[in-house]
Amino acid sequence: MEVTMDPLFLAWSYFRRRKLQQCSDICTKILQDNPYDQAAWSLKTRALTEMVYIDEVEVDQEGIAEMMLDESSIAQVARPGTSLRLPGTSQGGGPTPAVRPMTQSGRPITGFVRPSTQSGRPGTMEQAIKTPRTASTARPVTSASGRFIRLGTASMLTNPEGPFINLSRLNLAKYSQKPNLSRTLFEYIFHHENDVKNVSVANLKHQKNLLALYCCFNKKLLFHHQALDLAAQATEHAQFKDWWWKVQLGKCYYRLGLYREAEKQFRSALNHQEMVDTYLYLAKVYQRLDQPITALNLFKQGLDHFPGEVTLLTGIARIHEEMNNIPSATEYYKDVLKQDNTHVEAIACIGSNHFYTDQPEIALRFYRRLLQMGVYNCQLYNNLGLCCFYAQQYDMTLSSFERAMTLVANDEEQADVWYNIGHVAVGIGDLTLAYQCFKLALAFNNDHAEAYNNLAVLELRKGRIEQSKAFLQTAASLAPHMYEPHFNLSILSEKVGDLQSSYTAAQKSEDAFPEHVDTQQVLKQLRQHFAVL
Amino acid sequence: YSSLVIQPHCFMAVFLHLAFSNKHILLHSHSYPEPGVCACVYKRNHLSSCQLSPSGHHSLCIQSMDGMLMFFEQDSYSFGRFLPGFLLPGPLVYNSRTDSFLTVSSVRQLESYKYETLAVATEAENRQDPDLPLKTGGKRLTPDWTFVLGEQALDLSVPSFSHSSSAVFVLGERNLYCLRDNGQLRFMKKLEFNPSCFFPYASVMNGTTNLLLANHTNMLLIYQDVTLKWAAQLSFVPVAMRVANFPDLKGVVVSLSSDGHLLCSYMGTDPSFFSTPKVDAREADYEQVDAEMKKLQKIIREATRTQETTLMSKYLCSLSSGVGSSTVVAFSAFLNGRYPPADLTGDISVSYNSPTGVPRVLQSRFSLPLALVCVPSFPAKTTKFKITVDTNQPPVDIKSIFPEFSAKSEDKDGNSLAFQFLSGAKVTVLASKTSQRYRIQSDSFEDMWLVVKELVQRFNQHFSKLGVKDFKKSFSGPLPLQEYFLSVDHHFQLRVSAQQYQDLLSERAVQFRAIQRRLLTRFKDKTPAPLQNLDTLLDATYSQVMTLAEAAEETRAQLEEAFVRLRSATHLLVLLLSLWQSLTPDQTAILEATLLPLLQDTPQLGWEESCDAAVSHLLRTCLSRSPKDQATTLAQAGGLVLGLPRDTVRLKKHITLLCDRIAKGGRLTLASEANVQIPAQVQSLAAPGESGRRKRGRDTVGIRIIKSESSSLSDISSITVCLLSFTRSFFNLFLILLPSPSFLFQT
Repeated sequence: MEVTMDPLFLAWSYFRRRKLQQCSDICTKILQDNPYDQAAWSLKTRALTEMVYIDEVEVDQEGIAEMMLDESSIAQVARPGTSLRLPGTSQGGGPTPAVRPMTQSGRPITGFVRPSTQSGRPGTMEQAIKTPRTASTARPVTSASGRFIRLGTASMLTNPEGPFINLSRLNLAKYSQKPNLSRTLFEYIFHHENDVKNVSVANLKHQKNLLALYCCFNKKLLFHHQALDLAAQATEHAQFKDWWWKVQLGKCYYRLGLYREAEKQFRSALNHQEMVDTYLYLAKVYQRLDQPITALNLFKQGLDHFPGEVTLLTGIARIHEEMNNIPSATEYYKDVLKQDNTHVEAIACIGSNHFYTDQPEIALRFYRRLLQMGVYNCQLYNNLGLCCFYAQQYDMTLSSFERAMTLVANDEEQADVWYNIGHVAVGIGDLTLAYQCFKLALAFNNDHAEAYNNLAVLELRKGRIEQSKAFLQTAASLAPHMYEPHFNLSILSEKVGDLQSSYTAAQKSEDAFPEHVDTQQVLKQLRQHFAVL
Repeated sequence: YSSLVIQPHCFMAVFLHLAFSNKHILLHSHSYPEPGVCACVYKRNHLSSCQLSPSGHHSLCIQSMDGMLMFFEQDSYSFGRFLPGFLLPGPLVYNSRTDSFLTVSSVRQLESYKYETLAVATEAENRQDPDLPLKTGGKRLTPDWTFVLGEQALDLSVPSFSHSSSAVFVLGERNLYCLRDNGQLRFMKKLEFNPSCFFPYASVMNGTTNLLLANHTNMLLIYQDVTLKWAAQLSFVPVAMRVANFPDLKGVVVSLSSDGHLLCSYMGTDPSFFSTPKVDAREADYEQVDAEMKKLQKIIREATRTQETTLMSKYLCSLSSGVGSSTVVAFSAFLNGRYPPADLTGDISVSYNSPTGVPRVLQSRFSLPLALVCVPSFPAKTTKFKITVDTNQPPVDIKSIFPEFSAKSEDKDGNSLAFQFLSGAKVTVLASKTSQRYRIQSDSFEDMWLVVKELVQRFNQHFSKLGVKDFKKSFSGPLPLQEYFLSVDHHFQLRVSAQQYQDLLSERAVQFRAIQRRLLTRFKDKTPAPLQNLDTLLDATYSQVMTLAEAAEETRAQLEEAFVRLRSATHLLVLLLSLWQSLTPDQTAILEATLLPLLQDTPQLGWEESCDAAVSHLLRTCLSRSPKDQATTLAQAGGLVLGLPRDTVRLKKHITLLCDRIAKGGRLTLASEANVQIPAQVQSLAAPGESGRRKRGRDTVGIRIIKSESSSLSDISSITVCLLSFTRSFFNLFLILLPSPSFLFQT
């Protein structure tokens, strides 16, 4: 007897095993036979969502417009220690840039790349337009919705017949009445179509007007002309008692940039039901509103309800790190490791912290642990190589770099590895090798400001002053946040007698690193000179 | 399909092989002596999950793919119930403490149904469509309590190792929940990976529960509540896991893979280290490596040397030489607006790689024919502006100089020629029959530039062809400064009005936003207040903004035209100045760079202020009355911010003064600047659009300064200190957030 399996059951089984493409294929077939099969429709929707699902907590890209046209800031100049925007104001005894390099936004370089470390919060428009070297794109993030729209179209490309669900024809009011479909549909629209506007919208009728108004004047949303309110209607349907819908509304508001409304929704959701995710979202809102202290308190409140929750602990550690309070950040990362000692971010951050506080041997242990856990990439070997070098385990240094070189994924990484090899070469006194390494770094990434700076110093040793000066100027224009090129340029200009340039360069160096003693001395000397004149 | 059922008492794995067909179902029924388990399949529906029910009885509940719960008591069907709002099957579990069934429905919430409620609810067979209202008797099936998870659950579990603790574990797609029997949340843990299955197996410490959890990155994790205690790597993604006790095999972890393999394993203490793949480790032959190194270094040395030599000979090679083939590039030129261009020259740059791989760029200039922008016309008798150019050679026939224009001209008289620009302006060139003078006249001052330039160029060519070496042109003056200032003023006026439009526009925009904000707060309010005509105001402001924007756009176009005319006029002025005082080409270049510092106007930096800065710099340096004057004025020069000036009086004065000084024999040279610093003010002029020639001039100044004092440079130790302090730079880990597979570790 021919034995056949129920196709829907098969699809469901595929879904459980995360063979999402097969699941979606079978559902497509079922839907061809019976277009009104709600179960298959719902399963396919879930499978398509799962394919592109990214945890919304981790998605944090601040567009250039949001950064510069911030409407929600409370004070122009925040008090020290209360803002993420003034990283230099912390009293936590963070490392100086002489020991630990800074990112463009003025924070010490971190051990783990996450979205917020890439963009940072630039102070001026000019700075905003210049992307940090770590963000491997030529242009700054123009707008959050821009990326989401791109993602949306990319996901549509995989469907040659066009989108699976035609949102413009959907009667959302009808779906919001069906609780068994509405959540699935919401997640689909939110994650797969990235069409925030459709899913959120205001609670009450007259708020539709607000949205229409918003649509007209906000170019970002110009393309979404139909105003649907699935989330809102569903909340209404649930008599405003369902925490989940409130969280979703909050997520939509957050994406639309209506942070205060998002906060309201998250708060209300927390009143109904304490959830880890809600705490994370709310803290994210506060971080975006530049209220790190509130976010910290919220995290701690969350920890009272969910003791030992890794994500909350990590959140606290990240905020401390962003506020330059490295010791506390390390403490919290250690707490994270007590709960989950396979946490890669915590290990990497503690490791890098040890490295920059002159304990390369301990850092080496942390990175070895990562290696043991199966992390196998260029960055890790690069860091291992550096740790080995500074821990005076020279035999491992070069082989680590060799491995890092075989594992590079792009030109930027290759440039960085060559740059570090150049340092090793400087350390062992082989200046020819160092020169060639820095040149290679520039060949792979000609925006590598650090390499320009070091090359300039090497050129100067060879006596080529003009070349050296040109390199220093390039470095200074590429990375105005580094004090080294400014300082070097100041010294060089002073030696050749160009006191005016020397003075301006020294001032820039002072801006980048106010506590630098040598810069202060140069400035003092120059001022004396000018006084004599 | 195989489904794993673990008996709670004997811990034996049982496979139910269930085969389905459309109407018929193969039936494998197993019963066991141990209490509490039996399994069977019901016809018509497909089985999805099953779980056991009230203690004491041997009963079974089966959930079908269409949402029906079928209850069997002692192998016989007792009743069936449809779950409300069912779409896809979720996990189902029986909680003996409360005598209720727990399931996670398609509404994404945990629902608890009392057994009694199920028993008295509407019979399943009576309802064909679950959406229709009930027709027959019986109660509507409502859950005892619900808990919104917001995500689908993969598995449910009610562990019963201690009766005191009441716990229901739910493994969601993204979180792990632990609830009390009454539906209150005890704790939860956010999972940063995709879990596949779990199993709470024991309570080691009082009040805590240990559980196994497997994920889709092949990891087996053991948690004590929310704390990770152990992690191990599996070779597959398990679909189910249990802890089993066999007679001579206690506490073994049984996991089932999706292809039906059963794995019984123990937690090891031997860490299985991740072994890194080998990099192609070849035996280093040191001699060979040395030889290769030497070879490479030789190549590098040669490459650097050739680079230096060719850099010096860069200007010696021309476009045509050295290349075997020639390429013709056809291109079209268009007028950008309804006004003649300020310049008919174009730039060619060729970039190529030399045989050694060094990239090179060559540049050259060409000029477009005048006939592109004007046509011959009738000479005009009376005009506003006149310019007279003298030569020291006998007069020539203009028509022979401009053959392409003379052909159509009907004037038989050979001493006049007229050009009409496409925009309509006319320029007439008259040659005196007796003297060696030529007069160019037109109604607009700027339009004469192209013709004058062309005339001078063609004279040069003509006389060099004739072999005349001491051909001289001159302009007897006076300089047409008043006419020139007219176009300066026109340009300035437009700039001022553009600025005004800009200000107005931003003012209106602020107003617009203010109204918008008020409207927004009104709309956002729960109790909407009347709009109080704010919408009308919004509309009005909007139309104002649009009108202003259009006007600003128009002004911008006008400004562009004015700037082109200004450039033409300036070119003409420079040409006349150089003819007047017979300046050398070098001096003319300096003058041109001074008077035309920008190729484009921007709102931030315009022609007036940058030209003024450059002119006053010249006046202070090489054209100043005394060298002593130079030093003092330069010292104060820094810190000046360039901005739109109040009026053009100062600029006009400076330009007049410049012409005066040149007339009085001032020499334009950069040599006198060599021992003077470049003031910051002039350096800040290096704004976008600076002309290439000017830039080159500045560079030479800078280099000369350095060379003059470079011998004093010997001490560079302080700079090397800085390098060493800058050794640790790139130290960034780019890692993905999901934990990577594999490893064991000590806790």
